[in-house]
Amino acid sequence: MAEKKKKQTLEEMFGQLETIIGELEADDVSLEKSFDLYNKGMNLLKECGKSIDEVEKKVLVLDEDGSTHEF
Amino acid sequence: MNSVYTVKQVNSYIKNMFTQDFMLNRIYVKGEVSNCKYHSSGHIYFSLKDESGTIACIMFAGARAGLSFRMQDGQQVIVLGNVDVYERDGRYQLYAREIVLDGAGLLYARFEALKKELGEMGMFAPEYKRPIPRYVNTVGIVTAPTGAAVRDIINVSSRRNPYVQLILYPAQVQGEGAAENIIRGIRALEKKQVDVIIVGRGGGSIEDLWAFNEESVARAIFDCAVPVISAVGHETDTTIADFVADLRAPTPSAAAELAVYEYREVRERMLSCVQAMRKAVYMKTTAWRAALERTALRLKFAHPRQKLNEKRQYAADLESRLRALMDTRMTDRKHRLALYVEKMKRLSPLEKLSQGYSYVQGPSGNVRSIEQVGAGDPLTIYVADGTIRTEVRSVAPIAYPGAENRQKEEP
Repeated sequence: MAEKKKKQTLEEMFGQLETIIGELEADDVSLEKSFDLYNKGMNLLKECGKSIDEVEKKVLVLDEDGSTHEF
Repeated sequence: MNSVYTVKQVNSYIKNMFTQDFMLNRIYVKGEVSNCKYHSSGHIYFSLKDESGTIACIMFAGARAGLSFRMQDGQQVIVLGNVDVYERDGRYQLYAREIVLDGAGLLYARFEALKKELGEMGMFAPEYKRPIPRYVNTVGIVTAPTGAAVRDIINVSSRRNPYVQLILYPAQVQGEGAAENIIRGIRALEKKQVDVIIVGRGGGSIEDLWAFNEESVARAIFDCAVPVISAVGHETDTTIADFVADLRAPTPSAAAELAVYEYREVRERMLSCVQAMRKAVYMKTTAWRAALERTALRLKFAHPRQKLNEKRQYAADLESRLRALMDTRMTDRKHRLALYVEKMKRLSPLEKLSQGYSYVQGPSGNVRSIEQVGAGDPLTIYVADGTIRTEVRSVAPIAYPGAENRQKEEP
C-alpha cells in the first residue's frame, strides 16, 4: 500500500488535487464531505512534499559495478 | 589566314562551352587550400592544389552560407561549385557554393546515409517518442566527467531544483571506444531506473561528435526504456542521436532545463492548492454558518413565547383603544353633566323661593292639593330665608282660569 503510494508521481497527485479542489468548490457538497475532501487534499500535499524529498542532493557517479560515489 | 576573331569572340565561345558542359556546372573538387584570402567585400579568393597543379577558386559573399568553418591554407577540402570562365582575364576558375573539410565530407556522407536508413526504419517516428516526465526525482547523465557539458547540466539543474538526484555515468564521448562507452552508460542508468537520461557533450567538430552518429548508439537510445534527452554540441550540431532521442535539446544546459522541473513553481502550485482548499472550506463553513443563523432566527420567531408576546401586545393595544374610547365617552358625559347642572341650577327650588314662591310641607309631604290637608294639620312653609310653622284653618277649592285646582295659598 505504502509502496503503491510511493509510486504515485507528483503529476498524478497534482491531478488528484485539482479534482479535490474542484469538488470542494462545487456548491452541492455537504459539510462533512468538505472536511473529508480537505483532509484528503492536505494529505496529498504532504505526499507531494515527501515526493519532492527536499534534501539537497549531491551529484553521484555511477560505477561499472552499479555502485555510486559522490562526484 | 582563313578568319580572324576578336578576343571577346574567343572568350565568349569558350565560356559558352563551359556553361553548356553538364559536369562542369556541378562538380566536387578536392584539394589543399592555398593563397586563401578573405576579401573585405566578403568574397573569398583561394586556390586548390594537389601534386599536379592548381585551380583558382572564388566563393562569393552570397554563397558564404555554404562554408561553416574558417578556411586556412593547408586544409584538405572538398569544394562544390561550377567551373566557369572569367572573360576579363581569359582564365577559368571554380565558383564555390559549398566547402567542407575533406575528412568531414566523408563522415557527412555516412551521416546522411545512416540518417536515411534509420529514418526509413521508422526509428525517428514520433509515435516511438516517450514523453519526458514532468516531475523527475533522478536524472541520469551520460557525458564526459570533465567537460563543460556536465558542469552546465549540474549548474542548471541545481539552480532549478537542488532536490533532484543527478547520477553521472562518466563516459568517454570521443575517440576510440566512445560509442561503446556511451552505450554502457545508457544501459547502466536504465538499470538504475532513473526517471530520465541526458546523453550529450559539448560542441566540437563532426569527428568529435561522431560517436553520437554511430548506429549502435542510436539503437541503444532507441531501445532504452527510460526517456532519453539528447544534448550534443551547439544548437547547429545535429547528430543521429538527436533524431532518435525522445527529446532533442539544443545544448546540455537546455537539456537540464527540459529534464529538471523548477522547484519554486511546484512550491507555488502546492501553496495555491492549499489556498484554494482553505478558501473553499472557509466559504462553505461561512455559508453553512449563515444558514444556521437564518434557521435560528426562524426558530426564534416560531417559539410559543413569541406568540404569547404577540398576544400580550395585542391585548395591550386593545386595552389602550378601549381606554381611549372610554375617555372620549367620559368627556362627552362630563360635558353633558355640566349642561344638566346648569339646567338644574335654573330649576332649583331655592331659585323659585328667591322669586317669592314658597314650599309647603304637610304631614304627607309637599302639599299640592287641598285633599292632602285638613283643618288643624301642621304645615311648614319654606321661604327664601327660612321656615314658617303654621296650622291649617280651612281649605277651599279654587278655580284658576285655564287651569285645574291648585293648592290654596296660606292666608
